[in-house]
Amino acid sequence: MKLYDQIFNVVKQFKKLFSPGPVTNADVSGSITAEIFIIVSLVLAALLLRHVSVLLAGLVTLILAVVLISNIPLIPKFKIEQEDSLEKMLFYAVITLAIIVTFIYWGGNLV
Amino acid sequence: MNELIPLMVIVPLMAALLISAFSKFNKATKVFAFVVALCLPVIPIASHYGLHYFGGYAPVMDNVTNVMYHPAITYSFTFLQQIFIAMLGLLTFLVVFIYLTKYKKVSGPYLFLLFLGTAAVTAMLLTDDIFHMFVFFEILALAQVGIVAASSIDYSYEMALKYMVLGSIGSPMMLLGIGFLLALTGSVNVTDIAAAVHNGLVDATSPVFLLSLGLIFFGWLYASGLPPFHTIKSGIYSKAEPHGAALLQSFTVVSMISIVLIMFRIYSSLPIFEVLVVFFSILAMILGVSLALTQTDFRRMIGFLAVGELGFIGLGIGLGTQYAITAGLFQALNEIIITALLFIGFGAIVNATDEVDTRKLGGLLAYHPKVSIMLLIAGLAMAGVPPLSGFQSKLMLVQASLNCGFPEISILAIMVSIATFVVFVKTYYTMFLKPKPNELELEKKEVPRTMIFAMGVLLIIVILLGVFPDIVTAGISNFVGGIL
Amino acid sequence: MAQTQLAILFTSAALVVIGLYSAIFIDNIIKKIIGISFIEEGANLFIVAIGYKPGGVVPILMPGMDTSWFATNAAYPLPFGLVLTSIVIGASTLAVMLALVMVLYRRYGTLSTSVMLADTSKQEEYDE
Repeated sequence: MKLYDQIFNVVKQFKKLFSPGPVTNADVSGSITAEIFIIVSLVLAALLLRHVSVLLAGLVTLILAVVLISNIPLIPKFKIEQEDSLEKMLFYAVITLAIIVTFIYWGGNLV
Repeated sequence: MNELIPLMVIVPLMAALLISAFSKFNKATKVFAFVVALCLPVIPIASHYGLHYFGGYAPVMDNVTNVMYHPAITYSFTFLQQIFIAMLGLLTFLVVFIYLTKYKKVSGPYLFLLFLGTAAVTAMLLTDDIFHMFVFFEILALAQVGIVAASSIDYSYEMALKYMVLGSIGSPMMLLGIGFLLALTGSVNVTDIAAAVHNGLVDATSPVFLLSLGLIFFGWLYASGLPPFHTIKSGIYSKAEPHGAALLQSFTVVSMISIVLIMFRIYSSLPIFEVLVVFFSILAMILGVSLALTQTDFRRMIGFLAVGELGFIGLGIGLGTQYAITAGLFQALNEIIITALLFIGFGAIVNATDEVDTRKLGGLLAYHPKVSIMLLIAGLAMAGVPPLSGFQSKLMLVQASLNCGFPEISILAIMVSIATFVVFVKTYYTMFLKPKPNELELEKKEVPRTMIFAMGVLLIIVILLGVFPDIVTAGISNFVGGIL
Repeated sequence: MAQTQLAILFTSAALVVIGLYSAIFIDNIIKKIIGISFIEEGANLFIVAIGYKPGGVVPILMPGMDTSWFATNAAYPLPFGLVLTSIVIGASTLAVMLALVMVLYRRYGTLSTSVMLADTSKQEEYDE
């Protein structure tokens, strides 16, 4: 029953995503699809780590699955992080630049 | 007839300048723009394959080291360039045609931007010179900003400025990367750089070389709108006029493949290059499609879908085999056509209803049956339903990743296709099939006939490529064999 | 001397870092644009520094010069040509950005990025 309540709460929280304005059936079902899609695809993408190390892939997949499922609803959080304000966009652009450069400079020959 | 090769860039560029200079003669401008736009797809088809050296400086052989140097800016024109430039020309023609018939008084500067963007993208695709590519990449960014800012949609200036500010971080980084390559090899010609890297004249494991990869890669992310630039890319699509957005997405796709092919030729010996491309492609697929599922503005929804589909192209390039790259490039060609079709089709709906929120729309099937049927086929093609063109390229991609030993990527690609299908069915249902809301007033507005014509032309290509993919894939496969 | 080149390289690195800092942390859009144009200038300066040659001469072949002496002593001309193009593009980009800022300033009456370029998707989606 607990999981059921949790999922019901998720649907309620989707209402905030579409406010102001009415929340239609199609929008909520789309959001639930996105929720499931994001969990499954991220876990599936984590499986790609098995080409580096099988143990690491198993660990990361399990941890990622537990973290993602216990944190539903994910879509409102994802959407807030990817809104249209320039500050968020610049922040993520510069962070990505830093990660790419760091990763390539010190780890470029390890792959 | 290799003189036609530079003309592919010069004709739209000169046309752009002339149109903006003489835009007060309305009638003459219209006729001139129409004729030039008609020429654009014809020139690449009439031209022969070959190389063009600007200034006539042919490559010189260094007798001491036995190395070939290219002193001139070189344009190379093969089947890949031919098919993409012809498709781009056709799209430009359709977009200019729609624009010319939509308004009685045409705006010279807007036509200038359309032609300028086409010229810039054509040059990026043709050139064999990495700095020349950067110059046209910057010109393209200016043209894109102009097309967005020229639309009369709310908040278009804000979106254009955001794109520009992000661009002024992305493109200097690319310039820095090019500077590193120049410092290492003393040349900006891609063939020379690639030869220096593959002959061992440049240490491929040196930090400077790796850093140049990272910086050019960041510029590529900005050019192609992969994460973290997916929000701004979908934003500028939704803030441009629909026919402008159809052209903008083709600019994005073509600049993406032209830069990634140059990067592939230089960095293909580094395994980390392929890891990076695959990583960002997967991220783009997941984020693009999941955000598209939650949108209520259908222009934004197609914008996110277009970004998500870009991941498929990157996936093909990142897998790195001949079959995979062929599949990726074929997917790029399909995406240009299908997304343009979707943008023009949904643009026709905006034109007829003045409404972009799917929650306020409904029951349009009865009012615009032609548009809705064509949109349905386009959406199915994007989701990869046989026998349409999207199916062929996605099937090739799934097979390629299975052959490379990555079944996870195949499953992911199929899942993303299914999610794309869900996005499309959801939007199609809310816009066309569900009962018409009472507040929605359809003022007997007709969809312009030119839009129907443009959609019909693109739809024929989609079906043709779906039934006979070999006419394109065989030539692309030959090209890929040449750069591997 | 090579120290000159090193100093130029340090300056260009500093310009890029200052530009990235201002992109994130400065709120005033004009200041932000000035900071961002530092990145472009840093990249240009870096490319100029590549062409530097200690004790080199200007790469113009004057009449009466010995060709082989010229070939060993002239500075590398390609980076200068590239930077010239790049500066022109940078200037036009800057002009377009500032023009957009002017239009937006007239509309909003402020130069604050967090007001002018905030998230707009909510307002426009469902306005009656």
